[in-house]
Amino acid sequence: MTLFDLAKKNIQGNFSNYLVYFVSMVFSIIIYFTFVSLQYNEKIQQSILLSNTMNFLFMASSLLLLLFVAVFILYSNSFFTRNRKREVGLYSLLGLKKKTIGKMLFYENFLMGMLALVVGIIFGTLLSKLFTMILVKLMGSSAEIEFGISIEAIGQTILVFLIIIIITSIQGYRLIYRFKLIELFHAAKKGELTPKVSIGSTVLGLLLLIVSYWLILRSFPEELTEGYILANYGIALVSMVIGTHLFFSSVVISLLKLYKRNKARYYKGTNLIGTSQLLHRIQGNARTFTMIALLSAVTISLFGAAYSGYYGNEKNSFEMVPFSYSHQSKGDEFDDQIESLIQADKEHPITAQVELPIVEVEGQLTFTFSYEVTAMKLVPVKAYNEVVKALQTGKVLSLSEDEAIAIKPRLTEYNSSLFKGEQLHLSDEMHELTFVDMLEGSVLPFDYPDFYIIVSDEFFTEIANDIKPKLYKVYEVEGEKSTAVTSEKINQLVGKEDFQVYPSFYTEYKEGKEGNALTLFIFGFLGLVFLAATGSIIYFKQLTEANETKTSYEILRKIGVNKRAVRNTIQMQTLFVFGLPLTVGIVHSSVILNFISNFISDLIGANVIVPIVTAMAAFIVIYIGYYILTVHTYNKIANK
Amino acid sequence: MKQIVEARKIKKTYGARGNLFTALDEIDLTVQEGEFVGIMGPSGAGKSTLLNVLATIDEPTSGEITIDGFTILNMNEEQLSNFRRDKLGFIFQDYNLLDTLTVKENILLPLALAKIDVIKLEERVEAVAEKFGITAILDKYPYQISGGQKQRTAASRAIVTKPSLLLADEPTGALDSKSATDLLESLKELSEQEQATILMVTHDAYAASYCGRVIFIKDGKLFTELVKGKSSRKEFFQKVLDVLSALGGGTNDII
Ligand SMILES: Nc1ncnc2c1ncn2[C@@H]1O[C@H](COP(=O)(O)OP(=O)(O)O)[C@@H](O)[C@H]1O
Ligand SMILES: [Mg+2]
Repeated sequence: MTLFDLAKKNIQGNFSNYLVYFVSMVFSIIIYFTFVSLQYNEKIQQSILLSNTMNFLFMASSLLLLLFVAVFILYSNSFFTRNRKREVGLYSLLGLKKKTIGKMLFYENFLMGMLALVVGIIFGTLLSKLFTMILVKLMGSSAEIEFGISIEAIGQTILVFLIIIIITSIQGYRLIYRFKLIELFHAAKKGELTPKVSIGSTVLGLLLLIVSYWLILRSFPEELTEGYILANYGIALVSMVIGTHLFFSSVVISLLKLYKRNKARYYKGTNLIGTSQLLHRIQGNARTFTMIALLSAVTISLFGAAYSGYYGNEKNSFEMVPFSYSHQSKGDEFDDQIESLIQADKEHPITAQVELPIVEVEGQLTFTFSYEVTAMKLVPVKAYNEVVKALQTGKVLSLSEDEAIAIKPRLTEYNSSLFKGEQLHLSDEMHELTFVDMLEGSVLPFDYPDFYIIVSDEFFTEIANDIKPKLYKVYEVEGEKSTAVTSEKINQLVGKEDFQVYPSFYTEYKEGKEGNALTLFIFGFLGLVFLAATGSIIYFKQLTEANETKTSYEILRKIGVNKRAVRNTIQMQTLFVFGLPLTVGIVHSSVILNFISNFISDLIGANVIVPIVTAMAAFIVIYIGYYILTVHTYNKIANK
Repeated sequence: MKQIVEARKIKKTYGARGNLFTALDEIDLTVQEGEFVGIMGPSGAGKSTLLNVLATIDEPTSGEITIDGFTILNMNEEQLSNFRRDKLGFIFQDYNLLDTLTVKENILLPLALAKIDVIKLEERVEAVAEKFGITAILDKYPYQISGGQKQRTAASRAIVTKPSLLLADEPTGALDSKSATDLLESLKELSEQEQATILMVTHDAYAASYCGRVIFIKDGKLFTELVKGKSSRKEFFQKVLDVLSALGGGTNDII
């Protein structure tokens, strides 16, 4: 029998032990391959070429994924070898040469890796088709993305994993050289020490978490400098990481010890067993818990933010480009050309059409207004009311001659109390207007400075005598979310001079949707991967533990604990192990998301609650799945 | 006097049809309250199997068992668990202590499981620990104490609920002679002073000489029985040795 045969026999004879390792390898390969194939997809390549952020996002994500996949495989590999030390020791005891054993382990790992690579690429091909379909759906385009097997993706995956597999195989080869025989036999049996914690580290842990939350949540200073951002959020990040670690390695232990103090409760039923086991294991698990909590926090935050962007896109587009089409009047010939173009689109009949005269003036406000106003755009109330009717938003207004109402500049957060009762002195020094209110809701596509003031018709006519108004024409059509063809033509005709955004709603909406969809997709994908991986890591840990504590549960059964009670304590402990890092992750991400939403809520539309809660719920649901699976398997091992 | 154990025609077979192995062959056994009974026999004779069947950890293939008036064979899993918790105490060769609990917590575990009031519970633990001389190590963890101390902890746990029947499978098997003697003295005292009923499997004639009665099994069948009666421990020890050599093989391969 050759060594190769022996290695093959090893795998066959002990398949269930190998299965877990094999599945994690396949899993890693599948996700990596799927991501890489998407990356090489033509449509995505286009957006990568077009946008620097997208390019960066994909680069960073694939690097992160690569790192993660490597760590995950190394982790499963060490889990796998730890469970096999005894077996290896036995070979050595039976007289096999170290070199022979090493070679055998090398072949074995290599063989499995190659098999995993093949299986992973096959499943990955299928899965990337599925993910392409999801992406198409998210982007809202129909059959624009072609699906094909990408040779580059296969090549890259093979290259990356060949390196990882060779590294793990060498690890396997070295296993027998790294340990003394006696150590191989005591693989799992290290002295279980009761954790000791100092009050100092407990207090410090809590303090650091509070400080980091405070730093993240406090409002921005008057002047937001780069130095401030680096210092403030840098410190916040560091104290969050250290605080989280101390939380698991000290705070939780202190809490459990506190719980133990109440003997009447601690000495009741199986509380004793569950609590003491948790207490014994938590210090060894602290690092994993920290990593999982932080990873979950990052994932939930990014996914929540990305989903908010996607979710808020329609509202955002509507705010940026209120009408289906808008343009500045450039003479009858030009205007007619546009109008007949829009009329020609029979599938999207015009529902409203408004002419908006705008006068740009300069003036002084009687209060400090941080928005940089070089020019204010005056709109007559009559035209504004027509806009309100056309868009069916807001209410019809009436103003007396010296009254004015401001429209909130987009992407800002002023409120009406700032304006009420204040005045505007126009630069001609002849006119004064008093603000009676500030409204939300814009009339024209975004163009900086975005400061519109609604004035009475009489006043507007008077001003218009001195300054010639610019005339804008705006159209609202039915089904504006599908006006691809007409929008394209209008964009060409109007060009980029009139506004800083597209003159047609559709294009703004569609581009935003595609961009957001891609971001959401990437974060969703990474989130799913992290989630699956953290879930699996806890699963592995619990299974190792189940094998180690099996005898304890046997003893308990012998001294009269029934199966149901054993099951209960297993459930309780597993819930703790899953729930604790997840809870910390969710609390962290709530804080981070609160910050993010303050920062960008106006960029992405105000409603961030629904998407964020959805993201968290998705996380929790998948974790519950892992929890149920873990309890089931744990119970099968330890509670026969 | 009250009968604690009454077992009739206990049979235990292993394996599938065609390849049946009979580990226990129609064994009858009666134990009275306060008796300290030893079970001896060559390796593989079925001693542990018998003890496990009586301990309700294992199920006999056929036969009837009554312990402290309860017929245990018709009980369901939960009833059996409660029965073990309330009526039985166990000591095993490899101690079977929980590594994550202190000595004290290990001892009080059965009481905690039975949801005994804390004050009463602490009292019981104190009393039992004193009896076995382990008061000083109550706050230590199993990995911090010696084998003898571990076994005394296990014995304390076994009797802390005042069980109707104490079952011990080679409790001295892993102990040095001094620790073994200490433990045996304690068990003997327990049966004499507190009327504890004890059933102890052992392969060691010295350990068996502490019992009031010793039954011998061979190939799953009852071989003979020795009663100490008025004889001294030394005389009884000699008698046990005699039976053992009659059992065949001599003491050397009885492991
Ligand atoms: N689960 C089992 N399956 C098959 N045979 C068993 C099993 N448990 C014990 N036996 C057999 O039953 C016989 C009696 O075992 P045991 O009661 O452990 O002997 P001992 O007297 O040494 O304690 C032995 O021959 C043993 O091989
Ligand atoms: Mg035995």
